[in-house]
Amino acid sequence: MNGITKTLGFVKSSLRASSRTIHGNAELIENCNAVKNRNPRNLELLRIARKPSGYHLDRQVREYWHTLKVTKAPRHVAAEIYHFENGPVITVSTKDWAIKKQLYRLSDTAAYINLGRVLAQRCLESGISMVSCHIEVTKGGKMEAFIKELENGGIELKEPTRYKKPNPWDQHRPEKPWDPTIE
Amino acid sequence: MANALFRIISSELIATKGQQIRYGHRMRGKPPGVARSLEQRLEELRPYDPALNFKVDIGLPAVRRSRSEILAQQLERRKKIQSDPNLERLARHLQLRIDLDETQKIWQQTSAADDCRKIADHYGIFKDLYGDAYFTPRVPLNISYTINDDGDVSKVFRGNILKPLETSKSPQVAYESDPNTLWTLLLTCPDGNLVEENSEYCHWFIGNIPGSDVEKGELLMDYLKPIPLSGTGYHRYIFILYKQDKQLDFSAFKKEQPCLSLKERNWNTYNFYKDHQDVLTPAGLSFFQADWDPSVKDFFHETLGTKEPTFEYDFPPPYIAKQRWFPLRMPFNLYMDKYRDPKQIHKEYLLKKLKKAHPFKEPEAPLRYPNAQYIDRSVPSWLNLEIRKDRLGWGRINDV
Repeated sequence: MNGITKTLGFVKSSLRASSRTIHGNAELIENCNAVKNRNPRNLELLRIARKPSGYHLDRQVREYWHTLKVTKAPRHVAAEIYHFENGPVITVSTKDWAIKKQLYRLSDTAAYINLGRVLAQRCLESGISMVSCHIEVTKGGKMEAFIKELENGGIELKEPTRYKKPNPWDQHRPEKPWDPTIE
Repeated sequence: MANALFRIISSELIATKGQQIRYGHRMRGKPPGVARSLEQRLEELRPYDPALNFKVDIGLPAVRRSRSEILAQQLERRKKIQSDPNLERLARHLQLRIDLDETQKIWQQTSAADDCRKIADHYGIFKDLYGDAYFTPRVPLNISYTINDDGDVSKVFRGNILKPLETSKSPQVAYESDPNTLWTLLLTCPDGNLVEENSEYCHWFIGNIPGSDVEKGELLMDYLKPIPLSGTGYHRYIFILYKQDKQLDFSAFKKEQPCLSLKERNWNTYNFYKDHQDVLTPAGLSFFQADWDPSVKDFFHETLGTKEPTFEYDFPPPYIAKQRWFPLRMPFNLYMDKYRDPKQIHKEYLLKKLKKAHPFKEPEAPLRYPNAQYIDRSVPSWLNLEIRKDRLGWGRINDV
């Protein structure tokens, strides 16, 4: 399923490596017709991994790879990035001493704003720049400030749609998201 | 009279044949609440057996600190903050911005190791490198690549995305350590091995590093820039720092430098760790992801002197039902096309395209109103549709 097959190669000769290694590498590449990328996040980044389906009648949305969840407690607030298979993968709370040390209150708007900044930074450091967000936001509330800060921090709160390979008889051919020629 | 009789009979017949009749409501299966949900049923498909599925911790133990002491310090600090009118005013006016560098620093000392383990597990790093073992990276690694002469750096964290062009020269690695200890640093890539799918490529191997002075370590394999193959997506490049118990003899791993043979770079962390598990302990972890960029192509052509392999994801073929002798109510051309050799269909479209192409003339301008073109009346309706589809660029014509 995760296999990748070879299509074609190009030659351009300006050789620097010793002849033996060249021969070895050339032979290696010649004989290789499939490689496997074991990175479990690769297909999600390439937009071809499947998302959980079959829950569209539920109120709770489950069709995502990563989603944002916020837990409000009376005295603090915690935010996490939740993966549909692996559960919470990044967790940040105003209860953590790293954040708590500099905050005045742990659940006021300023706390939400700073939580958003820290979460955005942690997400980008962990290679997650797109998460789905199904939180209902009231205008002018704390949550709006939190979400705005996440967006300012460089997180896109919408996941791309899944790329499905078109069948030969289908009407359109959607653009391949991983095609290097697009950039 | 006869007509009315016919109407009654026919309406009775239709009522039983064509119309849907409800015979009351009957529940299929168990009622909701009693029946298992889809989630529960999926959970049952992956059973957890504690005797088989347990993981082994191979890392350094956590440094125990007196909790009451920490709490006392924290409480003192909190009290000070709570009585700070300046901070209160900033918070009230929503202008309180905490210092992110300070936050990062304290996080490194408190919960970073566990958070890093969690995210590494999410990226499948322990599974692919150590099988059923894992470790908590107790020694924070600070790895930065210098991009240009102006001193701009790109840092390696826990899976952030870097381009091969940025990472073409060996990075600066820093960590805190006692100068009398010895360390081993490895950079491996478990993805996209050209020979065995369960092997890795070793991109950098330095052994017997005294303290944190990476330069003074024994360079066993020189730095090889990331080579994420075209079309294979994002590869993980994993830095692992091992703590050595004593001076080790790594001469068996020493390669002629520069080591450009991919065959010699073949690596298996599982076997390496298995051989050295008595004297090595994984202590630090940091990794990034890289995908193809033009510098990889140049590297293959100019440094390795070979062709650049290009790959494409192997999608499962579409489901096509078994062909029937009498496919009722099916458009015959579309139905037959499904069972023809796809290469033959492709060839037909290609020939049609080449027939129009002239070697010396400009290609024909696209039709301005493709649906307003005359099609001869004698053309059968299915062919009419096919012509329209080709003009609009729908369907198989896109594959050419």
